[in-house]
Amino acid sequence: MISAFIVVCSLALFWVAVFTLWWMLHAWRTPETLAGTRFSAPDGAGALSFSLLVPARHEQEVLEHTVLRLLESTHTDYEVIVIVGHDDPDTAAVAHRLAAEHPRLVSVVTDHHEKKNKPKALNNALPSCRGDVVGVFDAEDQVHPELLAHVDHAFRDTRADVVQGGVQLINFHSSWYSLRNCLEYFFWFRSRLHLHAEKGFIPLGGNTVFVRTELLREYGGWDEACLAEDCDLGVRLSSQGKKVVVAYDSEMVTREETPDSVVSLFKQRTRWNQGFLQVYRKKDWKRLPSLRQRMLARYTLVTPFIQALSGLALLAGVVLAFVAQVPVAVALVSFSPLVPMAAMTAFEVVGLHDFGKQYQLRVRFSHYAKLLVGAPFYQLILAGAALRAVWRELRGRKDWELTRHVGAHLAES
Amino acid sequence: MTSVVEAVATHPNTEEPAAAPPPGRLARWAAARPDLVVAVPLLVVIVLVQAVNIGNFPTVSDDEGTYLAQAWAVQHEGALAHYSYWYDHPPLGWLQIAALSWIPALFDHGMNVVMQARVIMVPVTAASAALVYVVARRMDLPRWAAALAMVVFGLSPLSVTMQREIYLDNFAVPWMLAAFAFALSQRKHLWHHIAAGVCAGVSVLSKETMVITLPALVLAVWRGSDRSTRIFSMVGFAMSFLLLSFQYLLYAVLKGELFPGPDHNSLIGALQFQLGRGGSSGWLLQTGSVTNMTLHWWVVRDPVILAVGVAATLVALFVKRVREVAIASLLLVAVALRPGGYLPAMYVLQALPFFALCAAGVADATARQFLGGRVSRWLPQSRNVLAFGAVILAGLVAPHWEAGDETADTAYSNQEYSQASAWIKANVADRPHVRIVSDDAMWPDLVDQGFRPGLGAIWFYKVDLDPAVTRTLPHGWKDIDYVVSSSIIREDPNGLPTVRAAMQHSVVVARFGTGTQEIDILRVDKTGHTFHQQAGGGQ
Repeated sequence: MISAFIVVCSLALFWVAVFTLWWMLHAWRTPETLAGTRFSAPDGAGALSFSLLVPARHEQEVLEHTVLRLLESTHTDYEVIVIVGHDDPDTAAVAHRLAAEHPRLVSVVTDHHEKKNKPKALNNALPSCRGDVVGVFDAEDQVHPELLAHVDHAFRDTRADVVQGGVQLINFHSSWYSLRNCLEYFFWFRSRLHLHAEKGFIPLGGNTVFVRTELLREYGGWDEACLAEDCDLGVRLSSQGKKVVVAYDSEMVTREETPDSVVSLFKQRTRWNQGFLQVYRKKDWKRLPSLRQRMLARYTLVTPFIQALSGLALLAGVVLAFVAQVPVAVALVSFSPLVPMAAMTAFEVVGLHDFGKQYQLRVRFSHYAKLLVGAPFYQLILAGAALRAVWRELRGRKDWELTRHVGAHLAES
Repeated sequence: MTSVVEAVATHPNTEEPAAAPPPGRLARWAAARPDLVVAVPLLVVIVLVQAVNIGNFPTVSDDEGTYLAQAWAVQHEGALAHYSYWYDHPPLGWLQIAALSWIPALFDHGMNVVMQARVIMVPVTAASAALVYVVARRMDLPRWAAALAMVVFGLSPLSVTMQREIYLDNFAVPWMLAAFAFALSQRKHLWHHIAAGVCAGVSVLSKETMVITLPALVLAVWRGSDRSTRIFSMVGFAMSFLLLSFQYLLYAVLKGELFPGPDHNSLIGALQFQLGRGGSSGWLLQTGSVTNMTLHWWVVRDPVILAVGVAATLVALFVKRVREVAIASLLLVAVALRPGGYLPAMYVLQALPFFALCAAGVADATARQFLGGRVSRWLPQSRNVLAFGAVILAGLVAPHWEAGDETADTAYSNQEYSQASAWIKANVADRPHVRIVSDDAMWPDLVDQGFRPGLGAIWFYKVDLDPAVTRTLPHGWKDIDYVVSSSIIREDPNGLPTVRAAMQHSVVVARFGTGTQEIDILRVDKTGHTFHQQAGGGQ
C-alpha cells in the first residue's frame, strides 16, 4: 500500500519535473528555435504610432529617468502617458514637470480611484491613447531606444495583435534571492514564453507588452478586479485566437530590478499567484479550441501550487522510502524525481553562464555557489507565497500589495 | 559484397536525372525513401544468415547460461540473480533479456533452453545492423558506404558466430550505436542529445566496458550540436548519462552494498575483484598468453574484419567524416592491447560496429580520391582502377566469409547438451528432491524440468564459493546426487574441492559426445568409492 502510494507520487513528480524541464529549455531546443526567438531587424521606416503608458505610484525617484530614456527612442511617432494618483503629489510633480518640458510627447493622466491598482490606472488612460498600439511600461523600466522600431516591424511583419518584448531583472549580484529571481526571468522570457506564444496560450508579462489599441478597447481593457491583469489579458486575447508574438533580444530587453527584500518578493509572488488563481477561476481559458491548449493553460495557471506541493511530496516520499522499509525498487523510484531536478539545476548553472555572457556581466564562482545553495530556500519562499495566495483568495482578500523599487538596476548600468 | 561493387560503379550516374516514363506508385514510394530501399533488403539477408541454425551453432557458453539464469531470476523471483547478486555486471543487460524472453516461447521446439533462447538475439542484431547504417548516414557517408558498413558488421563470420550468443555486449552495442545516432541527429535537437546520454547510460549499464567509447561519443555530441546551443546540448548529454549511471550506485547504496564488508556483496568489492583479476592473462600479442588465445580464437573465425578493422581505424583517424568512430575504435583496441589486462572473448563484439564504420569511412574516402580527388588527377583511368580493386577485394573476402557463414548456418555444435538434457528428463526421478550440479548453460534446463532452482539445481561454481549454498551441504560431496560434467566444469581453474570430490566419487551413467564437447552425467556414489582419478579424466 505504502509502496504503491510512493510509486504513484514519485512518477507523477517525475513527469511534472520532466515537463517543466522540457518547457524551460524550449528556446534551446534547436538552433532554429533559438534564432526564431529574436526580433528580426527593422526595415527602418516606422509605420505605426504608439501610446506608451507608464503608471507610477510613489516612484518619483525613478520616474524621470525612465521617461527621459523613453524619449530617446529612435521611433518617430509616439506619445508617453504617465499615470499618477491624486493622492501622490511627489510623483505627480515629477510627471507634470516632464510634461511641461516635452509638451507634445509627454502627457499626464490622474487616477482618482479611492482604492488604486495598476489595471485601474491603465484603464483610466486608455481613452486618451491616440496611437495605433498601446505599450505598457513600469516606472522603473529601462527601455532600449530602438525597441519601438523593432516592435513596429514585428507587428507589421507577423501581423500580430500583441507583441511581448523581453523583460530582464539585472541586479543578480544584489542578494542570493535576486540571483535566482533574475534567472527565473531569464528562463521565462528567454525560453518559456516563446513556447506559450507558439502553442497559442500565453499569460502576458506586466510590461514591455504592446497591444493594438482597437483590440484593447474592444475587449474592455484590463480587468480591474484581477491581481494579475497582465496574465489575464494574455489569456483572454489568446483564448480568442489573437496572435501573440514574443521576441527576446538581450540588446532590446527592458531592464528591471528585483524586489528590494525577501518580504517584498514574498508579497509580490503572493499577488501573482493569487492573480493566476483568479485567472484560472475566471475560466476564459476554457474557450481555447484544443484540449492540449486547455491542458497547457490549466497546468500553467496552477504551476505555483504544483511546485509548492511537489517540494513537500518529494521530501515526504524519500523520507517514507527510508523509514517504511520498502523494496529497493520502490526506493529507487522514490528517488526518480530527483533526476530531472538535478538536470534542471545543471541547466540553471548553464543559464547563469549564458545570462552573464549575454549581458556582459561577470558571474563569479560565488554566484554559482549561491545559485545552488539558495535553491531550496528560494523554493521555500515560492511555496510559502503559493500557500499564502490560496489562503488570501479563500478569505476574499484581494487588495493590491505594491512592490517597492529603489533603482538598484539604474546604478548598475 | 556484389551490391557494394555495383554501387561503386553506378554511383556517378545517380546524379543524372533519368528520362523515364512517369513512375508508378510503388516507384514513387521507393524513390522517396532511398535509404529504406538500400538498407531493408540487406537487413533481411543479414537477419536470415544470423537466424538460420542459431540454436545449434556456436557451442553454448557458460556465460549465456549465466545471463539467462539471471534473467530467469528477474522474471520468476523478482531478484537480480539466481544466487545473491554480487555486482559482477550492472543488471540492465539481463533485464533486457528478461524483457525479451516472451519471444522464445513462440518458437518452442523442445531444444535446450539456452539454444532456444538465442532467438532473442535476432531482433537485437537486426537493430544493431540497422543502427550501423543510420550512424554511417549521419556521419555523411553515402548510401553505398553505409550499406558496406552494415554488411561488414552483419555478415563477418565472427559477427555471425558471436552475435548469436546471449552476451551482454550484444545488448550494449545497439544502445551505444543509438547514442551515436542521436548525437549526430541532423536537427541538432537538444532532446536528441539528451537521448544520446540516456542511450549511452543504458549501454554502459548493460555492459560496463562500453564506457571505453564514451570520449568518442562526447566528440560526436560536440560535432552534432550547433555553436549557439552547444553548451546546453553538452550539459544535457552529460547530465542524462551521469544521472542514469548514478542509479546503479544508488541501488548499491540503498541495499547497503556500496562498500565491502563481512557477510555481504558490494559494488566496490566487485570492482576491486574485477580490476585485480587481470594479472595472469598476459599480453594480447604474446604467444601462449590467455588473451593471445582469445585473439587466436577470433582470428580463426574471421581474420578479415580484425585486420581490416584495425587498419581502417588508423586511417580513419585522418578522415574527418568518421573521426569520432575511429576514436571509439582506437580506444577499444588500445584497451585490448594493454599488457596484463583481462580480456573476455566477447570483448570484440563492442569493437565490431566501429571497425565496420571505419572500414566504410575509409572506403568512401578512397573512392572520393579516385573519382575526382587527388588520385584521379595523376592516375589515368582511376575509376576503372578503383572498380578493379573493389572487385579483387570482394573476390578475396567473399569466399572466406561465405564458408564461415555456411558453417554457422549448418553446423551442429550443441547436440550433446540437447541429448544430456533429454536423458536427465527421461531418467532422473524425484526431481524436486534431487540435488544436481551443472554448469550455467545446463542450469535453465534443469530448472525447467522441475529441479529446485538454486539449491536443487546448483550452479557448480556456487557449491564451494557461495556460503549460502555451502551451508546447505553439511556432508560436503555426499549431499550431491548428480553432476552434469561438461568441459566448462572440467576446465574450471578455481579448484572447487567439493565439486571435484563429488566427481571422483561417482559413476558415469550417460555419456554424450567426445573431446571438449563431451558431456558426462555422473551419479554420486555415497558409499565412498573413488571411481575417477581426476575429474573427467577418463574411464
